[in-house]
Amino acid sequence: MSLDLKIDDLEVRAASGRVLLSVPRLSVAAGMCLGVKGPSGAGKSTFLFSLAGLGANSSGAIAWGGTDLMVLSPEARAKFRRHHIGMVFQDFLLFEELSAAANAALPGAYSRRARQAVIARKAGDVLDRLGIAHGGRTVESFSGGERQRVAIARALAADPEIVLADEPTASLDRKTADRLIEDLVRMVREEGKTLIAVSHDPAVYTRMDRVIEIVDGAIVSDEVRDG
Amino acid sequence: MNPLAPLYRAIEWMPVLAQDITVLVVLVMPALIVGALVLVGFRPFPLVRAMLWRFRWTNALFVLLIAVSVGLGVGLIAQERGLRQGTARAADPFDLVISAPGSEITMMFAAVYLQPSDVPLLSGEIYDEVANAPDVTLAAPIAFGDSYVSSPVVGSTAQFVTHLSPDLAEGAMFADRLEAVIGSRVDLALGDSFTPAHGVGDAAEHDAHAHVEYVVSGRMQPTGSPWDRAIIVPVEAVWEIHGLANGHAPENADQLGPPFDPDYFPGTPAILVSAEQLYVNYALRAQFTTDRTMAFFPGTVLANLYSLMGDVRQVMSIMAVVTQILVTAGVLAGLVILTRLFARRLALLRALGAPGRFVFSVVWSYAATLIFSGAVLGVAIGYGAAALISRVVSAQTDILVTATLSWPEFHLVGAFVSLTVILALVPAFIALSRPVVTDLRS
Amino acid sequence: MNRRGFFATATGAVLAAPFIVTGAAAAEPQVRLRELYERDMSFTPFALENAGTRVAIEGFMAPPLKADSNFYVLTNIPMAVCPFCSSEAEWPNDILAVYAQRVVNVIPFNVKIITRGTLELGTYTDPELGFVSRVRLIDAVQERA
Ligand SMILES: Nc1ncnc2c1ncn2[C@@H]1O[C@H](COP(=O)(O)OP(=O)(O)OP(=O)(O)O)[C@@H](O)[C@H]1O
Ligand SMILES: [Mg+2]
Repeated sequence: MSLDLKIDDLEVRAASGRVLLSVPRLSVAAGMCLGVKGPSGAGKSTFLFSLAGLGANSSGAIAWGGTDLMVLSPEARAKFRRHHIGMVFQDFLLFEELSAAANAALPGAYSRRARQAVIARKAGDVLDRLGIAHGGRTVESFSGGERQRVAIARALAADPEIVLADEPTASLDRKTADRLIEDLVRMVREEGKTLIAVSHDPAVYTRMDRVIEIVDGAIVSDEVRDG
Repeated sequence: MNPLAPLYRAIEWMPVLAQDITVLVVLVMPALIVGALVLVGFRPFPLVRAMLWRFRWTNALFVLLIAVSVGLGVGLIAQERGLRQGTARAADPFDLVISAPGSEITMMFAAVYLQPSDVPLLSGEIYDEVANAPDVTLAAPIAFGDSYVSSPVVGSTAQFVTHLSPDLAEGAMFADRLEAVIGSRVDLALGDSFTPAHGVGDAAEHDAHAHVEYVVSGRMQPTGSPWDRAIIVPVEAVWEIHGLANGHAPENADQLGPPFDPDYFPGTPAILVSAEQLYVNYALRAQFTTDRTMAFFPGTVLANLYSLMGDVRQVMSIMAVVTQILVTAGVLAGLVILTRLFARRLALLRALGAPGRFVFSVVWSYAATLIFSGAVLGVAIGYGAAALISRVVSAQTDILVTATLSWPEFHLVGAFVSLTVILALVPAFIALSRPVVTDLRS
Repeated sequence: MNRRGFFATATGAVLAAPFIVTGAAAAEPQVRLRELYERDMSFTPFALENAGTRVAIEGFMAPPLKADSNFYVLTNIPMAVCPFCSSEAEWPNDILAVYAQRVVNVIPFNVKIITRGTLELGTYTDPELGFVSRVRLIDAVQERA
């Protein structure tokens, strides 16, 4: 199944009724790396949450490979995320008391036993590739960059077709940020995953196939880059 | 009325142990079923452990609160049983006591538990009548009133000593008027001699019997009763020391023990009677319930006290149960607040795509772990408290009270766990109803 | 947590349930204390027939001889402490030794009770209490009638 993204008439409102995001039409082919830029407060995070089926007060259609998340029940959306989507959040969101390995393998905690082992192995692989050698340590003592890597490993552990990353390089120094985004993009491309990455960082855009810009809840530019 | 009565009625054909196990299983069954339903297919424990560790001090406080409230209930039941068993064991050798009319309780405390009190005497005719009633195997005078240091000195017969302690721990039975057999915890050695004081405690007149010296000839086995502190001497000696006839006619003035001659019998505050035919005890009790005598079973007096004690315990148990439920409700309310602290982690799990039931099972397991740990610790606290109080009571009354844990305590704890573990579903539902994205952004 | 242990316990209880129901369905034959003896002190056909089975007997709990004990005496009529109303000749066949399943909570001697237990015939001397009895109820449970 090829999970192309197709959005129609998406509108997300705040509880007050203010429109936070409005996307009349957007298509993203499976396997594409899409960058999302825009000023702070523009609605980029809101957009990513909507793509994961986490949006409240929204209308329209968000279809991944023909599955419209908007018509699914919350439990069915959770199931879709579980099987197809990996997320990296703006501020890591790790279990501080668990080891890096346990954090990365978190999706295994609610998976079938057979899959749990696969997830744990994959999580370990990704941590290795990202250069986290001490996976047994609790993440309390980890630096920001290390935490970001653990968060990325967690997003990839269940081997999802879609990776949604919110500011994956924020608060990292230039060199670390470059290495991290390079590793992430390489892994995503190797495995033919779709990557949608929100970022303020121009260095991120240069590695994307296509970059859209959101301002005030609307897509104002859409630029396909040739790599 | 006990809500479990129909269950006990249905299983009364089982052996008692099987009944107790069945009741416990029935009581914890709701917890097990809820646990199985909530947990089936999931392994939330690594996450639960992480959450427990994260807020360990808060959690420890919650566990302690639950434990203390559970311990209160457990300790109450264990303590009551300990007191009942201890006082009953101490009264065990005293089937039927006959004395002058008065208060059965006062008399029981005087004759059985050796708490001194001034009581009128029974005459030689009455003693004779009791001793010669058919089927009576033992009719022993119990002549209390003297003391040595903190030990009551009681006049009786060799048969009575044998009744209390079939074998002596050391030494021999008194064979002479001025010999004494001591209780297991009396601070004297074989061969020691002592002078008794007239009266007991602060009122004792120490020089009233200054011319008398008893020699310790033997020591009884421990009985777990105040008799362990008592000194038993021939009743003839007690009478003679007080300047009275010694119970025997002048021609056999050296005789020790029964039969006594009614004409030379100065009187005794109480007579212990023992009969092997069951109905004889009841017949004697009826026969000697007259205007001159009172006959009672210390067992009945105690049983009535227990019944009273049981009522008091029941009221206190209800208070303890209410406390337990209030504390748990408080803890669960605390958990609702605590789950707000976990809200981001729970939202994260749901954002990653964890099934709602998994998140539910995490919150429930967390609460259930606190409850279960509290309950287990509560049993330990209750037992510890009961053991401590028992030791104090034993030291102060010389009645051996031992704390034990038995089925009623475990039934109480089982019911408590079941009830509260079901209540713990509430914070789990509340946690689940929180908005994911809002919690993630917070 | 060991989920298999969980289920083993749960299953055990489910398996036990039918027995519980069967046990409850069987109501014991109920007689008065007098119906155990003939006038000549021999056992009645009822007593002989039901020896070894659970029966229910109506009577009164005599004031207990021992506190905190499993043992008590069931009497045909309330055992008041009344020197005029108990003729000694009636004692032996008017009382029944009862060994309860559990420590007995006393019920006042003038409250009618029902005791259910296994009827046991034959002379027996209690090794602990020293009492001799010809008929007994063992494994008994008592409640206010
Ligand atoms: N539940 C909500 N109710 C009202 N306003 C909201 C809600 N959620 C988000 N917003 C608002 O919507 C706007 C878009 O928020 P969003 O987090 O998507 O911005 P962003 O583009 O990700 O910004 P940043 O780059 O700072 O992360 C913001 O103004 C924010 O305050
Ligand atoms: Mg954002």
